Amino acid sequence: MLPTQRQADVLSLRIAARFLKTSPAQSVLIMAGIAVGIATQVFVGSLITSLQADLVDTTVGSSPHVTITAAEEGDPVAYTSEIRSLVDGDERVEPGAIAPVRLASALFSDGDTTAPLSITAGELSDLDVIYALTDRTIEGSTALGDYDIVLGVDFAEKYSLAPGDTVELVFAGNRVEELTLAAAVDLGSAAANERTAFIGPELPRDIFEWEADEYSAIQTQMLDPFDSAVVAEEWDAELTELSVSEWQSANADLLTALQSQSASSYMIQVFILVAVALGIASTLAISAVQKTRQIGILKAMGLSDKRSGRIFLWQASMLGVGGTVGGLALGFALIWSFSFIPVPFSIRPEPGFILLSSAVGITVALLSSIIPIRKTSRLDPIEVIQSG
Amino acid sequence: MAEPLLLAQSLDKVYGTGDAATHALRGVSFEFAEGEFASIIGQSGSGKSTLLNLLGLLDTPTSGTVRYKGTDTGALRKPGRAELRNGLIGFVFQFHYLLPEFSVFENVAMPALIAGDLPPAEIRTRAEETLGLLGLAGLEGKNANALSGGQKQRVAIARALMNRPALVLADEPTGNLDTTNTDLVYDLFRQVSSDTGTAFLIVTHDRKVAQRTDRVLEVLDGELVADERNRYLG
Repeated sequence: MLPTQRQADVLSLRIAARFLKTSPAQSVLIMAGIAVGIATQVFVGSLITSLQADLVDTTVGSSPHVTITAAEEGDPVAYTSEIRSLVDGDERVEPGAIAPVRLASALFSDGDTTAPLSITAGELSDLDVIYALTDRTIEGSTALGDYDIVLGVDFAEKYSLAPGDTVELVFAGNRVEELTLAAAVDLGSAAANERTAFIGPELPRDIFEWEADEYSAIQTQMLDPFDSAVVAEEWDAELTELSVSEWQSANADLLTALQSQSASSYMIQVFILVAVALGIASTLAISAVQKTRQIGILKAMGLSDKRSGRIFLWQASMLGVGGTVGGLALGFALIWSFSFIPVPFSIRPEPGFILLSSAVGITVALLSSIIPIRKTSRLDPIEVIQSG
Repeated sequence: MAEPLLLAQSLDKVYGTGDAATHALRGVSFEFAEGEFASIIGQSGSGKSTLLNLLGLLDTPTSGTVRYKGTDTGALRKPGRAELRNGLIGFVFQFHYLLPEFSVFENVAMPALIAGDLPPAEIRTRAEETLGLLGLAGLEGKNANALSGGQKQRVAIARALMNRPALVLADEPTGNLDTTNTDLVYDLFRQVSSDTGTAFLIVTHDRKVAQRTDRVLEVLDGELVADERNRYLG
């Protein structure tokens, strides 16, 4: 009677475990090799992912991803119910992250010097979702009443402006307005902090003599910033008389850098896996040679080719699982130790990536057993018996 | 008429091809009944081990057939041959070929574990009984490497008997043993044969050893030149 599948597997597993146990140094070394490979993969992969997420967040986390403007620069865009339902109804848009804004330029003057300011005007509740003004406030209390102004922190420092100070601005047509500095905010980049200001929506409307529903732009943020290109294309097709722009087309260099970084990260990970695979394959092949005599005897006693091959599949499985578990522990330890290094971002391991790394580690181990399995399956017991 | 346990018909074994071809066996035919206690004798290189390997289904003949209880083993695929080897035949070689990674008990139990058709408790009982029969009781937990040469060969015999085979094929089983252990092994073979009805076919180059068996098959230059019963007995 042929043994059942379960009985066959249990014996192959038992023999595999014993082979590993009787060569502890070899087993530990190969598991350590897998562990180092998986740990490096987990650490490097998580590091690159977190670094890129931080870079993207720094670049566009507090700025619009998709912007709707009039076809002609300077013309207003009417925030109609058509646009509202299109933008509001799109599931890719972050809920609430829609800000109709009026954009203006003005010259700051403190009597001695003047400096240009790029002004974004809108309701604080709308701007807060995109620009996170309240969260980014360094001093003062963020407010955008009709005569309030919020400045970038570098600008405020450069001109020694403190909350409560009067800020004199000269708009187009030499219209001079005096506003009160409500707060200074850190917008995440020196360029933005040196020339950006936020005010309430009514002053530009009065300057431009626009209707209540007319704005310079409708700014939005996506749940996934990288959806912006597709969303912009779709909206552009819908809103034929308007212009739709998105952040990626304006940041091609950054995207190229991110893609290059991803590519180099994948290359590193692939080469690590290849090195791990070669390590396991060579060790298992050596083990298969070392155990030729035993396999020959077992076959002489009636162990089938399939079951003898399965011994090395089990060995690979045990080495793969053991090495991967060790690698995950080592990887997490590396990530934890990274938290003590003073860098502006932290590594957040993604469960999906960890699972993928584990699956890849075990799969690589299993694939590495192909050569010893084939070698073992082909072994004829007579070769061992005749060689004595 | 009942089928013999083993029927070898016109067995040829040729190694190599063309001018380099070597005939290891030529037209060997004989029958072997259940419970027989026989030897194959011949000088070194005569083809006796080749014959044993063919009979043990470890090797395949160039032509001719080996039948076990009427089953033509040439028609079997590798898994079928492995199953037949496991259930019907026990092997004892000149070298004990024990598995150094396993204990004495595990080595003896291995054929039954490969067969996978006995419950663990019965495997243990049978292995202990077999070890007891061979004077190895109490050594079950020892590593196979920790035994003396004679003990190792007796463990190998216990392993060969584990699945209660119909036939034990032994190839120079005492080739590495001293006289005392040699006598012990052949006494054991004889005792097991008479106690259990197991057939034994023992390859040897030693006529004194062959004297201990009931039937002697003599191989010379790959041919079966004699098949005599009790020639050396009595």
